[in-house]
Amino acid sequence: MNTKIGKLLEEGAVEGFMAYKTVHGDLMPWFFTKDNLAELEHWRQTPARYPILKLLLAVARRNPEATYGILVRGCEERGLEELYKWNQLQRDKVIVLGQACSPELASYCECSKPFPDRLDFGEAPAGIMESRRVQELRSMANGTRSDWWLSHFNRCIRCHGCRDVCPVCFCTECSLQHTELIPGEKLPPDTSFHLVRAIHMGGRCIDCGLCEEVCPARIPLRALYKEVNRLVGEIFDYHAGTGGDGRSPFTFLGEELLLPQGAR
Amino acid sequence: MEDNGFEPRILAFLCNWCSYAGADLAGVSRLQYPPNIRVIRVMCSGSVSPHHLLHALQQGADGVLVAGCHIGDCHYLKGNYMTLKRVTFVEGLLGFAGGDPERLRLEWISAAEGPKFAEVVNDFTDRIRSLGPAPSFEAVPLVRAGVAIETVAAR
Repeated sequence: MNTKIGKLLEEGAVEGFMAYKTVHGDLMPWFFTKDNLAELEHWRQTPARYPILKLLLAVARRNPEATYGILVRGCEERGLEELYKWNQLQRDKVIVLGQACSPELASYCECSKPFPDRLDFGEAPAGIMESRRVQELRSMANGTRSDWWLSHFNRCIRCHGCRDVCPVCFCTECSLQHTELIPGEKLPPDTSFHLVRAIHMGGRCIDCGLCEEVCPARIPLRALYKEVNRLVGEIFDYHAGTGGDGRSPFTFLGEELLLPQGAR
Repeated sequence: MEDNGFEPRILAFLCNWCSYAGADLAGVSRLQYPPNIRVIRVMCSGSVSPHHLLHALQQGADGVLVAGCHIGDCHYLKGNYMTLKRVTFVEGLLGFAGGDPERLRLEWISAAEGPKFAEVVNDFTDRIRSLGPAPSFEAVPLVRAGVAIETVAAR
């Protein structure tokens, strides 16, 4: 890590690099520039995950002309793809180095692709394709599933943590704070709070699982977003986080031929 | 009327250019349809956000009808493409969240299809009546629900 990132910074290929540094024994996200090159460390595997894309986005928004570098995991690489597609970052203004997750982390996250396409550090572990929770939910009857969800939603303390940590939540005005849509004074908030967020995650969620990780009420949000993403994949054949020119089906009108079936 | 006295409340989003005129035609043609629908006129069915659909269900609507122009007839050329995409998606989401996707209905009704409008409203009202009142969508706090707060496993 030391040499690769150091080289990029010394050559002036990037103005800053978002990577990690040990603080009190733990790796923390750290923004490196030419001035703190000496603080760069050797790469090591860590189970700690941070909304590093959010940090990069904040830096890039302040200085849109500059090129920045970032050290990404598999999920963060998918997030970058989405941010490019949604015009939040420019592809040619971001230089990416990739790190693989450990097999333990991959199995903990139930991550389908725990390594980035561009792999600089570590070895790619095998992906895990099935989520136990989604399988469990699918096997429930409709009424039970509704109760199951409500029993989780009722713990929500409306901290907006899921939104704040989400790497692909970049709006400056948020529907979740629209008091006419979702009454503001209620706690727990209306179920539509979670469903509105789920709608926004359709064709956008890159399945990093940070929302669930950060949720103080431990609401199994990821299962919900996994499912909306599966729906978008099934109905529109669009898979969030994949490279290429494809865009979320909700961002353009499209062609008649590509509309979902079932003309009424 | 049914014995249980349940009268569904159905919210209908009607496109200004077709379905609303279709409803008008049903009216002037003296076609009978149940008075259970509450109509909101929108400029295009494509302007109905998924948020509105969820909000309606959350506020206690037993069914939500979205009616717009047939594909290809949209006043704004392709607005109803978005309607179709969204409603299909929201139906799937409702199903997964434990709601009933049947409470949401999308229909294409042109300005000339007064009889179809009456038929759709009849049919949908019957369907919702047989489904019964929409189950509460409310997340009740644990304390109020009288449920012991169990420790939630890490995963």
